[in-house]
This record gives sequence, C-alpha cells and structure tokens, in this order.
Amino acid sequence: MRAIAVAVLAPAAATVVALTLPHAGAPTAESCYFLAVVVAAAIGGLWGGLGAAVLSFLGLNFFFVPPKHTFEVRGVEGVVALAVFLAAALLVGGLLARAIRERARAEEREHQARTLNQISTLLGSPGTLERTLEQVAALLVRLLGLSSCRIATADVDVGVRSDAGDPRGGGPVASFELSPADTNVGRLTVERPRDEPGFGAGERTLLHAVAAQLALVFEAERLDRTVKQARLEAEANRLRAALFSSVTHDLRTPLASIKAAVTGLQDAGAVFEPEQRSELLQTILEETDRLNRMVGNLLDLARLRASALEPQLQLTDVDEVLGQVLHRLAGLLAPFQVVVKVREDLPPVTADPLQMDQVLTNVLENAARFSPPGTEIVVSARRSQSRVRVSVADHGPGIPTEERERVFEEFYRRDAGSGRGGTGLGLAISRAVITAHGGRIWAEGVPGGGTAIVFELPVAPDVPVGPAPGAVDGGNGNGRGNGRREGSVDGPGGLGGSEG
Amino acid sequence: MTTVLVVDDEPQIVRALGASLRAQGYRVVSAATGEEGIAAAAAAPPDLVVLDLGLPDLDGVDVLKRLRAWSSVPVVVLSVREAQADKVAALDAGADDYLSKPFGIEELLARMRAALRRAPSSGGGQPVQRFGDLEIDRERRTVALSGRALHLTPTEYALLEAMTGQPGKLLTHVWLLRTVWGPAYGDESHYLRVYVRQLRRKLGDSAAAPRFIATEPGIGYRWLAEPEPVAAQERPERGEGA
Repeated sequence: MRAIAVAVLAPAAATVVALTLPHAGAPTAESCYFLAVVVAAAIGGLWGGLGAAVLSFLGLNFFFVPPKHTFEVRGVEGVVALAVFLAAALLVGGLLARAIRERARAEEREHQARTLNQISTLLGSPGTLERTLEQVAALLVRLLGLSSCRIATADVDVGVRSDAGDPRGGGPVASFELSPADTNVGRLTVERPRDEPGFGAGERTLLHAVAAQLALVFEAERLDRTVKQARLEAEANRLRAALFSSVTHDLRTPLASIKAAVTGLQDAGAVFEPEQRSELLQTILEETDRLNRMVGNLLDLARLRASALEPQLQLTDVDEVLGQVLHRLAGLLAPFQVVVKVREDLPPVTADPLQMDQVLTNVLENAARFSPPGTEIVVSARRSQSRVRVSVADHGPGIPTEERERVFEEFYRRDAGSGRGGTGLGLAISRAVITAHGGRIWAEGVPGGGTAIVFELPVAPDVPVGPAPGAVDGGNGNGRGNGRREGSVDGPGGLGGSEG
Repeated sequence: MTTVLVVDDEPQIVRALGASLRAQGYRVVSAATGEEGIAAAAAAPPDLVVLDLGLPDLDGVDVLKRLRAWSSVPVVVLSVREAQADKVAALDAGADDYLSKPFGIEELLARMRAALRRAPSSGGGQPVQRFGDLEIDRERRTVALSGRALHLTPTEYALLEAMTGQPGKLLTHVWLLRTVWGPAYGDESHYLRVYVRQLRRKLGDSAAAPRFIATEPGIGYRWLAEPEPVAAQERPERGEGA
C-alpha cells in the first residue's frame, strides 16, 4: 500500500516541481525525478523504488523530452538519455531499498541477540527460580510491548502484566512449548494489547529461542533436584545406620548402669555400707549426666541436618562463656588440674554465645574423657592477628597425625568399645558450628604427649561504647559523657571517711 | 513452714520434686495444668512457685504473666527448651530464675533460697552491704575492696548497685539496661559488656572463674557472692590506705 502510494506520489511531486521551475529543461527535470526515485525507494522499499523509476521515466519522456506531451522520442540521443535514466533509476532505487532492508534486519537481529543475552544473564543470576522467571517475563513485556507474559510449568506459574494493556485481554496471542529432551514441561504464553499487530516472524524466532533457554533452565533445575535428593538419601542412610548402632550401644549402656544401681539400692534384702551406697548413687548421677549430654548431641545433630543451627550473632567474650562452661562442668573436671590462661585484653568475637558454650563444652568433655586423672588440662585463649585462638590441651594418649582430621567426622570414635566414648558427635558438631561462624578448628599434638583441640574465630569489628546512662542516680547528677570522662563516684568526704 | 507450689504436668517430676522438697522441710502443693496452678496460687498464696514452661493447656510464659498481674510471689521456671529466647521471655515476664531440665536438686534448692531471700522487700534494710572483702556503702555511695576504696564511675557504680541489690538472681540484659541506663534502653547489650568488664577488672574478678559477676551468655548476669549481714554499730573503719 505504502509502496504504491509513494511510487505514484514521488514522481508526481517531481513533475509538478520541474514544471513550476522557470526555464527548467530536461536535465533539471531528470534530477528532480532521480530524487523522487531515491525517496520512494527509502520509504516504499524495492517495489516503491522500481515503480517510481518507471513512472519517472514515463513522466520525463512525456513532459520534458521533445516532442513534449507525447511518448514519442526523437533521435538516438533522446533514446539513449532516457534509457540511461531508466537504468540508473532502477539500479539506485533497487540498491537503496536493499541496503535499507539489510540494516533493518541487522537491527532486529541485534535487538534479538541483546534480548536473549539479557535473558540468559537473568537466568544465570543467583536467586530463586520464581524470582528469576518473573524478571524474565517482565523483561519480555517491556522489550516486546506485551500486555502480558506467563511462564507456567507443573511447579511454577509466573505471570507478569503490563499496566498499559487492556485487562480484558483479547489481543493477539502466541504460545510456545517448553520442551527439553522432547518432553513438554510447560508453556510460555505472550499477549499483545488488543489493538496492536500480531507477532512477526522475527519476534517468533526470538520467543522460540527464549522458550528453549527456559526449557534448559527447568531441565537443569530438575536434574539438580534429583542429584541433591539422591545425595541426601545416601547420607541419611549412612547416618541412620551409624545412629542406630550409636543409640543401641551408647544410650543403653548408661541406662543399664542406672537401672542396676537403682534396683540394687531398692533391694530390701541388701545391706549397704554408706560408702557402697554413695558409690551407687554417684554412678546414677554420672550416667544420667552422660545420657543427657548424648541426647543433647543427638538433638544438635538433628538440628545440624535440618540446617537449623543458624547462629544468633552477638558480641561474645570467650572468657565469659568459658566461665559458664567451667562452672557447669565442675563435676566432670574435678579429677583434673584445669589451668586457664586468658589474657584480660582478649578481644570479643562475633558469635552465638550458646553455640560457643556448646563448642567449649564438647571440647572440654572430650579432653576429660581421654585424660588420666590428676593430669593438667590447659585452656588458653589469645589473640592471633585478626583472630581469637582458643586451645584446650590435654595430656591423654594423643592422636596419631593421620587420624587428626578424622576425629571431626560424625560417629568417629577413637576408643570404640572402651566404655568411655561419647556419641562420636561432639567434635563433629563443634566443627560445624565453628565453620558456620567463619572460623576453623583442628587437632594438634602437645609437647610431652597429648592432644590440643584448637579453634580460631575472627575478632569482632570495633563497636562504639555508646553513651553513659542518663539516669544513673539523682545523687550523681550529670552522668552524661563517655565512660572514660566520668568522674569518681566518691563525693567530697566520701573517700576514707570513717566513723572512728 | 514455707509452701512451694509446683506446676508441672509430668507426674514423675512432681513426685521426685515433692519428695526432695519435703525432705528439705518445705510444704509442697502441686498442679498439673496452668489453669490449676493459677487457681491454686489464688486459693492459698504460696511462698514460691516452681513453674514448668511446657504445660498442656497454657504456655508457661502466659501463666507467669497472669500470675504477675496480681502476685509478686517468687517464681523459678523449669524448662527443657534450650532456646535462649524462651528463657529471656520468661525472665522478662517476671520469672525470678530459670533452670533447664534435667537439673540437680541442690541447684534448684539454691535458686529457691536465693529467690525466697529476695522476696520480702530486700535492699531496704542495711545501708552497708558486705560480700566477703567487698563492701558497698549505699548511703555514701562508696565501694571498698579489702579495705581499699575503689574509684568507680557513676555508671559502674549504678551497675554494681543494680546487681548487688538482688544477689543470686539472674538479671537480664534488658532489665539491667533499663535500670542503669534508663527506660529508653534495652538493645544495647554491648554497653553492658563493656561496663561489666571494667567493673570486673576493678573488683579483681575474672570472667573465666568469676567470684562476683557470672555471665549467662546471651541472657544476662548474676551476682554470685552471698551478702553478709553487717550490724549497724560495727560500721567498719575503711579506706585507711586511701
């Protein structure tokens, strides 16, 4: 339509211009017609250009080449001139139209490539699948001027609507299957606003490519899930087996001692010396504590498995946690000489204090388990560059170098069957906790024999001390300012005042 | 005779606690649900309540809140929960102390004794408090350790006063911040950390083996030392070296 209009109008305009120009001869008219052909080719494409070339040829012949107002041509010169004009006009019109078309195509190809590139960047970016799909749909809506775009599979259904589109829909729709490996997993559906043209071949190609990319993403996601599932199942099976043997053996052993001691005490016929009696009661106490620790460890393991061990981070002083742990384990540690070496200026760490408590408890229990009574257990904490290093060293039998990593494995026990083993979980849990805090934990030898379990945590960044309290006490009046500038609490006469 | 109300739905725990507490000379009343416990406390006010947080009908913290609406009876909370948020919630709702199950009876008795000691409006008595070689004169606002005067900043002194006012009681971060810094505070537990460390240093106390101030990591602090009675007339001569 446009091609025909421009093919007619451009030569007509050239005719009018050439006729109105004073003294315009055939050469001037020729230039005008040439311009008309170029314009027609630019606007109307190949057919517009060719049509304009033919009509310009006829116009030139009729109006400007003598004898005027006829299509007759006189003389060889006139024929040649007209023939050259026609050939040149056809050639220029055709070439120009083709060049313009090529450029348009190149632009569209570039646009498609850019879109696809943007989409694959989106698909490769981290984040949930749903969020990514939403971004892809939003991008398509924006780039292609859609009224809506929907990506749906059995698991996800993401739809994005543009504000501009008619909410009732009814515009042109295109739909593409998402089918990796020849199985249809979902559908990409796009819609234009009601009054706009449908989807061209270029756009369809682009959407096909997008659909193929989406299909690959879904396939990768599915494979990933399958692999993870399989790995989890294998791990769960291994743990179940280990747990089963641990529960049957380790949990029943203390229960057996408790039951034996209690039934012994209950036996009406038995006569106990006070010493024997207290020994039996001591057994019950120790074994219940042991059971409690094991249950605690098993619970921690379960939490670890469920990834519920998220640390509640706060400024934590290792020495304060240590104080609490040593107090709680006083009974367990009584047979040993516990030496604490902590520098007063030890910087705090950013950690979950309860989890730090757990780590120190596990490590100290471990030391107590393997140390001969009467030996030293040395607990030290010091700064080591940008880390706080805590070490618990015992004088037990030590661990061979090649075994030192294995003690951190779940259910690994150095002394299976000796009766003093725990669940084999304490150090594994400690490692999980320390790793989650961005630190590391390892075992090393101690000069003179024995084992040190050492862990390091990053020093907490500096925290402002904050203001002094505003309401210290009526008697002290101004309590504002920072801690260092506060005056002594002793008022005049308060110091050294004696009743004598 | 001191009456203890035990609110717990586990008959074994109730039985074991009942036997042990009676053997210590307490009178023991028990309730198996929260509603029963509240009713029992209203019918015959006990001297102390031992309350389990995991009750079948009500959440223990809710029981505590309802109880606190009209009673200031000391409450020691029992719980198998390990999350510190629960403990803090119970303490902030007015519990005097908590114990995690399983616990030793001697531990419970110690906590009960501390809670009972505080019960009849303590602190209003003597102006001078003595904890071993540490002496605090609340009237003059002076502190002496082994006879030597200590220079404390107003904040350190206020903190010391708040802690020694309730010896043995677990004081939460929020409570201490509001008491010492003012009602607008509550989240700034790092202030406490700094001042407690300064105070410890001046008192010659060690965090790893505390004599005065024990840390309950993530929850609060506890003043450990037992107060000694100081007779008014034997107000000591202090600060000779100062």
